[in-house]
Amino acid sequence: MTSIQFNKKIIIFVIAIIMLLAFSNSSFAIVSQTREFYVNDSANLLEDDTKEYIINMNKKLEEKTGAQIVVVTIQNLEGKSLEEYATELFREYGIGDKDKNNGVLLLCALEEREFRIEVGYGLEGVLTDGKTGRIQDSYIIPYLKDNNFNEGIKNGFNAILTEVENEYGITIDGAETEVTPKSVTITRIFNGMLILIFVLACVLTRGRVLLFFLGGNSSGDSSSSGGFSSGGSSGGFSGGGGSSRSF
Amino acid sequence: MKKSSIAIIVVIVILLLIVIGGVSSYNGLVGLSEEVDNKFATIDTMLQRRADLIPNLVNTVKGYTNQEQSVIDSVTEARAKLNNANSVADKANADQELTSALNNLLVIVENYPDLKSSENFINLQDELAGTENRIATARKDYNDAVKEYNAKIKRFPTNIISGMFGFEEQEYFQATEGSEEVPTVDFNSIQ
Repeated sequence: MTSIQFNKKIIIFVIAIIMLLAFSNSSFAIVSQTREFYVNDSANLLEDDTKEYIINMNKKLEEKTGAQIVVVTIQNLEGKSLEEYATELFREYGIGDKDKNNGVLLLCALEEREFRIEVGYGLEGVLTDGKTGRIQDSYIIPYLKDNNFNEGIKNGFNAILTEVENEYGITIDGAETEVTPKSVTITRIFNGMLILIFVLACVLTRGRVLLFFLGGNSSGDSSSSGGFSSGGSSGGFSGGGGSSRSF
Repeated sequence: MKKSSIAIIVVIVILLLIVIGGVSSYNGLVGLSEEVDNKFATIDTMLQRRADLIPNLVNTVKGYTNQEQSVIDSVTEARAKLNNANSVADKANADQELTSALNNLLVIVENYPDLKSSENFINLQDELAGTENRIATARKDYNDAVKEYNAKIKRFPTNIISGMFGFEEQEYFQATEGSEEVPTVDFNSIQ
């Protein structure tokens, strides 16, 4: 009697466990966190320097503000929509501070050639959907179109970092600024013309312009130091804010 | 004497257990019901946000076009419906209708490269797409909460409590079939 009941219980227990596993497998098909947390380059698009840079910047940023800017590259979306995947990953990782919800996710899906910036509630004010769209258009997508993933993602990361820095009124030591691919060529042409004018002016004024400019200028440099902290417990939340692009 | 006092104690203990069980499952239901309301409030906020973006979008489109009045009107009408919708089903249907009206508008926009590439329009489109995605996310969260709540009120023994205190089944946020076909855009009149 009792042994039959006991057996029944075991069978029910085993079935329950199997069902639990089946369910959890179906709903967590996203890439898992890496030890470094801030970057998961499962599609192998980033150089080691870039990963290290992203991790270092994040450590400093998190120490100062609790914000996190996580970069994830994936081979494919496994049948999900980019938005679904991003929101699920965002919540699963718990990007950003638990109370401030100030996380940002940069997600690149290689096979689908799609990119998304997903923003936690706490940063939606500064990183509006429109702004994340513009950031992608100006700083990321032009590079990705040329399959220059490393450059594009790093540049986009920097653009987001700049926005977050401004939001909190801080500067992260060693942070690079984003560059606009288009304006790079324009600036080059502009600079070329300036040099030409300058040379012409020098020739026409017999060097007086040169003397005038030799008055000299120098600029000061200020820096702030930031300590390191390991990514502690976090649990930022996203309601699905952000924008997506195909490239 | 002894036997009857034991019986009384047993009855009291059983009654106590029932009461405690009843209270805790009642509280559980209240919590779940709050959760459902809370999740719906998020949907509501996002629907409002979406509705608020429409006038701006319509004005931008109007600035570049002058013969797409019927498409623009269908968007405006769908927005008004969404603003006036009260029940969950009405809101879901109105939202779906607005989605198809907006899709028609976006098809039209393809004919206006200047509009399509204008910074203002790209910005609005991002905001709209973002809001739509927020609605989708909020909707999923809400439906998950409803599923849990509905299962709970039907399951034994909680169903006794839910029957006693009148906990009613909650509606899922989903558009009824065919609601996306409501705005009939007459493309012949556009020409």
